[in-house]
Amino acid sequence: MTPFLAIDTSGGTSVAVVHNGEALAEIVIDDPMGHSENIGQALVDVLQRAGLKPHDLSAVVVGRGPAPFTGLRVGIAAAIAFAEGVGKPLLGVVSHDAIARAFFDRMTDTDRAAIAAGTRLLVTTDARRKEVYWSLYSGLDAHGAPICVDGPHVEKPAELEDLLDQKNVQRITTDLALSAVSLAKVAASHIAAGVNLNDVTALYLRAPDAVEPKANGKFGKQVSS
Amino acid sequence: MNEVIIRAAHESDLEAIMVIEHASFGDTAWPRESMALELAPNPARHYFVAFDADEMVGYGGVSVVHGHQGDIMTIAISEQHRGRGLGRQLMNRLLEVAKTNKVNDVFLEVRADNPVAQSLYRSLGFEQIDLRRGYYQPENIDAVIMKLDLTNTDASGAPITAVGAPKLEPLVLGIESSCDETGIGIVRGTTRLANVIASSMDQHARFGGVVPEIAARAHLEALQPAIREALKTAQVSLQDLDAIAVTNGPGLAGALMVGVGAAKALAVATGKPLYAVNHLVGHVGVDVLERGEVQTPTIALLVSGGHTSLLLVRDLLDDVELLGETIDDAAGEAFDKVSRLLGLGYPGGPQIDKAAADGNPAAIRFPRGLTLPKDMEKHRYDFSFSGLKTAVARWVEVAETKGEPFSIADVAASFREAVVDVLVGKAVAACKEHSVPRLLLGGGVVANRRLREVAAAKCAEAGIELRIPALDLCTDNGAMIAALGAQLVMAGRQASSLNFAADSTLPVTQVQSI
Repeated sequence: MTPFLAIDTSGGTSVAVVHNGEALAEIVIDDPMGHSENIGQALVDVLQRAGLKPHDLSAVVVGRGPAPFTGLRVGIAAAIAFAEGVGKPLLGVVSHDAIARAFFDRMTDTDRAAIAAGTRLLVTTDARRKEVYWSLYSGLDAHGAPICVDGPHVEKPAELEDLLDQKNVQRITTDLALSAVSLAKVAASHIAAGVNLNDVTALYLRAPDAVEPKANGKFGKQVSS
Repeated sequence: MNEVIIRAAHESDLEAIMVIEHASFGDTAWPRESMALELAPNPARHYFVAFDADEMVGYGGVSVVHGHQGDIMTIAISEQHRGRGLGRQLMNRLLEVAKTNKVNDVFLEVRADNPVAQSLYRSLGFEQIDLRRGYYQPENIDAVIMKLDLTNTDASGAPITAVGAPKLEPLVLGIESSCDETGIGIVRGTTRLANVIASSMDQHARFGGVVPEIAARAHLEALQPAIREALKTAQVSLQDLDAIAVTNGPGLAGALMVGVGAAKALAVATGKPLYAVNHLVGHVGVDVLERGEVQTPTIALLVSGGHTSLLLVRDLLDDVELLGETIDDAAGEAFDKVSRLLGLGYPGGPQIDKAAADGNPAAIRFPRGLTLPKDMEKHRYDFSFSGLKTAVARWVEVAETKGEPFSIADVAASFREAVVDVLVGKAVAACKEHSVPRLLLGGGVVANRRLREVAAAKCAEAGIELRIPALDLCTDNGAMIAALGAQLVMAGRQASSLNFAADSTLPVTQVQSI
């Protein structure tokens, strides 16, 4: 498979060029803000390190979150525009899938045995406001795509623990940060499995904060016109 | 040595200019009064000054007759700063002005005993057309008359531009996402090719005002279809573009970032230069799409749901000054809030306009914010609409308590009159007090019929020329961003880096962010 450009701004800014399952270049900027400042130079640098021109890429993969809204949108907007700019397909992947893929690719034998015995991987990321985004995975499918059995959702950590305890879910967690390299690998796995990745809508998982004002027309009845 | 800044000259630059004038031209120096006349506001004269830190190091001026000819009036660089290429930079700036004014030929005269200057002019494409014997007296030096044919410069910018000549009619795509309108515009030079606007207004209606998060989400969804539609309308491809321009402020932070993220990636993907431009200056610059230029100096009154700003524009790219702005609600916001109060719909402007049609604007005397003498000292050109909104609410409450029936039409008309009165009053005062014979309106509230009427009447009375661009160029749009970007390209400005930020409070003095 010819090279993929992967972009994810669900945490910091992470961009990578991945060719046949190999990372040609990766740039990770940890800053949880600053996405709109960082994204342009990150794209230039990652292409330069990979030794590729924009038109050498075969597709653009983007992380759809879940993630804090403002940063997440920068990555998706950039991916949409980049794909338009080079006239190549745009593929959407749930960002938690990339974390899960990275975990399963390098898990210890102990974890491997646990997963085989039915323990789930719990992926959580910061959702701000003292909440976390979470997803539950059972392993990788034959093509290497993470199998998500629940999520992504948003919850307060304590309530998430209660919920999983109630359901008697055995779980292990990971502190792996998201890598755009894994995001590209997940996309390749999904494509190999014939999964459609056309949906690039952002996974906000929360409605916008907005309160409708009180009923209008308070004065309507007494008014002559 | 510092980087040299070139900006439009002000009358206050006279003293420093005269120092260089005397040092450079000795006996043939212009008298101070002549120079003062040259620097006075005049659409046919364009003077620029070069600064190295705080020190003026040169100046130059051109006179233009629009669509006809231009004359390089003077140019001088102080002696210790010669040889730095400043003369060329100043000349290029003067030629930009000539080009913007669609001048055919530019003329100049130069002393025959100044080969350095002549060589500079030749390298810019000037040719000798005449020799005037003994033109410079008392030294009796000949003058070489030179001419540059600007019509001979093709799109690739040949003769003028032996050195980095700007393209005459660049194709620019502009991205606007500062509020609730996703705008993608495409212009070629000063010609509008596409102006696609996707508004999320309907989604904000039930909240009675723009909800930033809803606006930002809508931008992301509108982005790809709007880009495609604009390219289709303009019948161009992304490869054809000469540059991309994007609004990087002021506006709603989360909304701006969608446009900025997209623009940076589009620039990297296509390899095109990117220009980060000021939204408010875009509202002024849009006039190039209707007139081919923005006539300066001009006062600009920008009124929308997010802004109420009064600007003094001496030069579109180099000299924009904020005279005043709202200290609380924007005018459009006041319309929305009062509209809601009266049980009318959203957006408030058109609803109030409709309700006010049969009302008496003099029925109720609502307060005119920041017009009292005590306020004028500190807030001469500032606006305030929050008190007016409260006054309307209180008035209605009192009437309601008394159980007196009242006319919504009268309340709407009187409220609208108070808003329009202050807006137009302060704008016209700014024109008079700065001796600027022009007023340009911009922003969504310009759609308000009464605002246009009163502005037209007051401007006619004061002998001020009023400019109101077409309505779809007044509301937030991408064409104005593309147009301002094209002006920067035509002026030979360097593209922005990829590191600029979205700045929700970007000052109006920063026309381009590097």
